[in-house]
Amino acid sequence: MVKFKNVVKNYGNHIAVKNLSLEIPEGELVVLIGPSGCGKTTTLKMVNRLIEPSSGSIYIRDRNVMDLNPVALRREIGYVIQQIGLFPNMTIEQNIDVVPRLLGWPTEQRKRRVFELMEMVGMEPEVYAPRYPAELSGGQQQRIGVLRALAAEPPLILMDEPFGALDPIARESLQDELKSLQERLNKTTIFVTHDMDEALKLADRVVVMNQGEVVQVATPEELLRKPANEFVASFIGKDRLNVDSLQSVTQIMLPNPVTVTPQLGLAEGLALMKRRKVDTVLVVNEQRKLIGSVSAETLDREHKRAKAVGEIVPYEPPLVTINRQASAKEAFDLIIREKLKYLPVIDDNEELVGLVTRNSIVDALASAVWGDEGE
Amino acid sequence: MLWLPQSGVMRVSDFLKFMQMNLDSAVLATGQHLYLSFGSILLGMMIAIPLGIWLTDKEKLAEKFLAATAIIQTVPGLAFLGLFLPIMGIGVLPSMTVLFLYSLLPILRNTYTGIKGVSPALVEAGKGMGMNPFQLLVMVKLPIAFPVIIAGVRIASVYIVSWATLAAFIGGGGLGDPILTGIQTADINFILMGAIPAALLALFAGWFLGMIEKMVTPRGLRG
Repeated sequence: MVKFKNVVKNYGNHIAVKNLSLEIPEGELVVLIGPSGCGKTTTLKMVNRLIEPSSGSIYIRDRNVMDLNPVALRREIGYVIQQIGLFPNMTIEQNIDVVPRLLGWPTEQRKRRVFELMEMVGMEPEVYAPRYPAELSGGQQQRIGVLRALAAEPPLILMDEPFGALDPIARESLQDELKSLQERLNKTTIFVTHDMDEALKLADRVVVMNQGEVVQVATPEELLRKPANEFVASFIGKDRLNVDSLQSVTQIMLPNPVTVTPQLGLAEGLALMKRRKVDTVLVVNEQRKLIGSVSAETLDREHKRAKAVGEIVPYEPPLVTINRQASAKEAFDLIIREKLKYLPVIDDNEELVGLVTRNSIVDALASAVWGDEGE
Repeated sequence: MLWLPQSGVMRVSDFLKFMQMNLDSAVLATGQHLYLSFGSILLGMMIAIPLGIWLTDKEKLAEKFLAATAIIQTVPGLAFLGLFLPIMGIGVLPSMTVLFLYSLLPILRNTYTGIKGVSPALVEAGKGMGMNPFQLLVMVKLPIAFPVIIAGVRIASVYIVSWATLAAFIGGGGLGDPILTGIQTADINFILMGAIPAALLALFAGWFLGMIEKMVTPRGLRG
């Protein structure tokens, strides 16, 4: 469908794209990915001649783009940009309609097409067609941006970091939508991003670029399993596969667990637990030395016999603790072996440092695998 | 009642009587004034708007044009009329020429900055979807820049209407005529007969073009 043959783009001495050759088969969604300045956007914009190559040639269905009229060429190619770029002076309908209007479609057909597209993504045409872009959220606007690119049924679509400016929730839902659109429509799509998660999620094939060159072309699966070199591995793996980095127990603990002093009254203790939504609190003295723990159950049972929290600590089972110098692995093992619900972390003076719970372990693992974005 | 140095007390009723007697010449002067000022504004729009559009992709040249019109702006009105006197003589034509030159700067500057101010993302989107330069101008750039352009016309109109009183000095007519007569004969009635309609005209022009500015703002761009 699209073929790059020895394409070079340089600006004076700066080479943006070096001798790029690449073939994109019909119906595939190909993601160009790489760090900023790697030439991915330049490569994309050479396809619709917003940027002209310095040398080499680009073919779309065996026609050299340099032989075509750029205006006519662009009307045959859908285009979505990061800044969305809906025309604020036009309604949603007029925005989606731009290319069909430029191509001179009859009014009836244009209207039918707009409605059909809006229904396809679940936006009621009666409600949204007469609105203006400023009345829509960012996610809705870019949804229209994608429909606008699809309007004239182009065989090829270019997307330049289309979801980069959206909030994570809108981005996620637009990715899902693009994926399902792609499965239904099978448009050849070239998609630029610097977000590896996005690439792995959407791509039939990923093209990793660095410093103007293609480093690896592979399916997401192959890319994860066999990165071509150190650069690709580091680009994929930055936050993805470094569970090994969880060395110390302090990396998997909550640094500020709920604590009480022994003098605290029982009723207050119960109220505190309710408020913080925990069923057990740790008891520490003024020096933060760990004395024991108290569960809501014990508090309730002993409330006739005792006044202060300190008095009922002895009724609790003895506390298993771990020293802060221990490794995360030792903490995992201890929790599994002893079937613990929680494990306080103390220092050499028996002062409380933190608390490992099953939740805190899951959180630490999640952020090691998927990065810190979830927090 | 107003206190005036020479004629002593002046009554509003006296002025109204004076206006009744001179209504014909007041109307004539106002008509001339409208013709002078709006003729030059129209001429200014016809030149400055296309010029501003043409200059948007010629930044270096645009700077020169804007500097030149800014220099015109700094020449005092009276001096300008004096400068044109030997070249164009007296009458309506030299007056209009001077006023036209004054209207250029705000209209040209607002056209240029209005179109330059259209977000590059919109220009790229339009281009990327296959608009040719003319379609990009008509479908995107002009509608978005239009309120800014009209604001320039409004600024120009308000002061051209008041500066048009200077035309009387070189026989251009208009509301400057009674003002000049009033100054020469120390008659406040004549001065007011020119000054009041001139001020009202300026206010009206500002209000009217403000309305148009609101009307031409695309609905999607209204705050």
